[in-house]
Amino acid sequence: MTAALVLPAMLFLILCFVAPLLALFKLSVTAEQGWQWAYGQILGSSVYLRVFWNTLVIAFVVTVLSVILAYPTAYLLTLLKGWKLALAIYGVLFPLWISVLIRTFAWILLLEKNGPVNRLLVGSGLTESPIQFLFNNTGVLIGMVHVLLPYAILPIFANMLRIDGRLLLASDGLAASPWMTFRRIYLPLSMPGISAGAVFVFLLSLGFFITPALLGGINNLTVAMLIELLVNERLIWSQAAAASVLLLAAVGAFLAVTTRFVRLGAVLEAR
Amino acid sequence: MRTRWAAHIFGSAVLAFLMLPILAVVPASFNHQTFIRLPPETWSLRWYGRFFADREWLTSLWTSFEVAVISTLLSVALGTAAAIGLARLGGRLRALLTGLVLAPMIVPVIVTAVALYYLGRYWGLTGTVLGLSIAHVLTCLPFVVLNVGVSLRALDPNWLRAAEGLGASPARVFFTVTLPTILPGLFGGAAFSFISSFDEVTMSIFLAGITAKTLPVKMWETVRLEFTPVLSVASTLLIVLTIATFAAFRVAGRRT
Repeated sequence: MTAALVLPAMLFLILCFVAPLLALFKLSVTAEQGWQWAYGQILGSSVYLRVFWNTLVIAFVVTVLSVILAYPTAYLLTLLKGWKLALAIYGVLFPLWISVLIRTFAWILLLEKNGPVNRLLVGSGLTESPIQFLFNNTGVLIGMVHVLLPYAILPIFANMLRIDGRLLLASDGLAASPWMTFRRIYLPLSMPGISAGAVFVFLLSLGFFITPALLGGINNLTVAMLIELLVNERLIWSQAAAASVLLLAAVGAFLAVTTRFVRLGAVLEAR
Repeated sequence: MRTRWAAHIFGSAVLAFLMLPILAVVPASFNHQTFIRLPPETWSLRWYGRFFADREWLTSLWTSFEVAVISTLLSVALGTAAAIGLARLGGRLRALLTGLVLAPMIVPVIVTAVALYYLGRYWGLTGTVLGLSIAHVLTCLPFVVLNVGVSLRALDPNWLRAAEGLGASPARVFFTVTLPTILPGLFGGAAFSFISSFDEVTMSIFLAGITAKTLPVKMWETVRLEFTPVLSVASTLLIVLTIATFAAFRVAGRRT
């Protein structure tokens, strides 16, 4: 009975998810020039290695920026009550419902050369000429932080709710300064939320495609853009497969290390 | 006290940063000119007219609808059964199978997309509604299993035993005890499935070909070619549809 319930979904996943991934792996090691050829082409090329490096740097910066923006926002959520809390929660969840494509397109509208942001900057005299936000890493960072920020806010908020307020009162009563209470009590207790949020944002950043592809430039390729390029433009399937396997391996290694310290289940529940 | 003020100012700014940019597409869709200017100098419905007169845009909207319905039905059927089954399993096997269900959330979508595109060409799934629906089930299934799984915790095993003891058949137990309990989770999972299928871009641009373009695929192709106000019309319609879907599923969930 139990088997009959679970089996259809599992068969579906094995056939439509595991099998294609295995086929992709096989493709990466069966190039005519030998099994290691595709990997050699990628790992031996400074151009390709720079793409991997660029992806790591972007993922890292996006993670740091997201946590910095998320922490005070999550704290604000713990202070709010009633309709204000409901409004703020919807403010965090609403972007998650909206297509990544729309969110990215909105940034193109706002950040383009004659867009409202640049008109405001030039009009107020802050800059002499419009700033080039799009088709470089600046645009990619703005767009990705915007898309991934809720994934940092939610686990930090869920974690802060579980902090026992009496501990803060006790610290206060023992004559610790507010800064001391924050640094010695509140911050360490909110660390699980911070690390869960950071892991999730970093993980999603590594394989991000739509936002970098639309806001980034051809000189700032990410691994996801490289894979698409190899499949659709260059038609070198074995290298695309090898790049995919390497990206997957990076994600797997990152998860293997971090899940020793962070309970990812907490993140999923927070969603 | 000072930190509270700082949190209010900074946090509100971040919340505005999250919300407002998305809404920029709405005024942009009421532009009159042929290029997008924000805020518009003259307002009109011109580009809505253009959208609804264009066969390609309408076809893509219909394809999106077909794919979303099929993948939601598939995900709810497979996912609900799996969630009930998983709750009965214990230990290692349960952890392993749950991991398999959640894996598509962890594996970068671009990798899944390329893998499906590669094998889908042999299986004749590229450029078909069925191929897109199968791909979307991968992203929808975790939502259903997680949502139904959470609402299953509210199900007291004693109720099932009582129903069985009173002579109800397994099917009767399911429809009179289990289903009503998990219905809120089921509706929640269905709403997320429908929306995430309607919004899905990455896998769709690989699998759509020229015969099964969904609305996001059409938008993706257009935005790479030209910067037309029709794009903000499509975006606005998609936002309205998203909100309407969530509202509809919420009302349906409450009624039951």
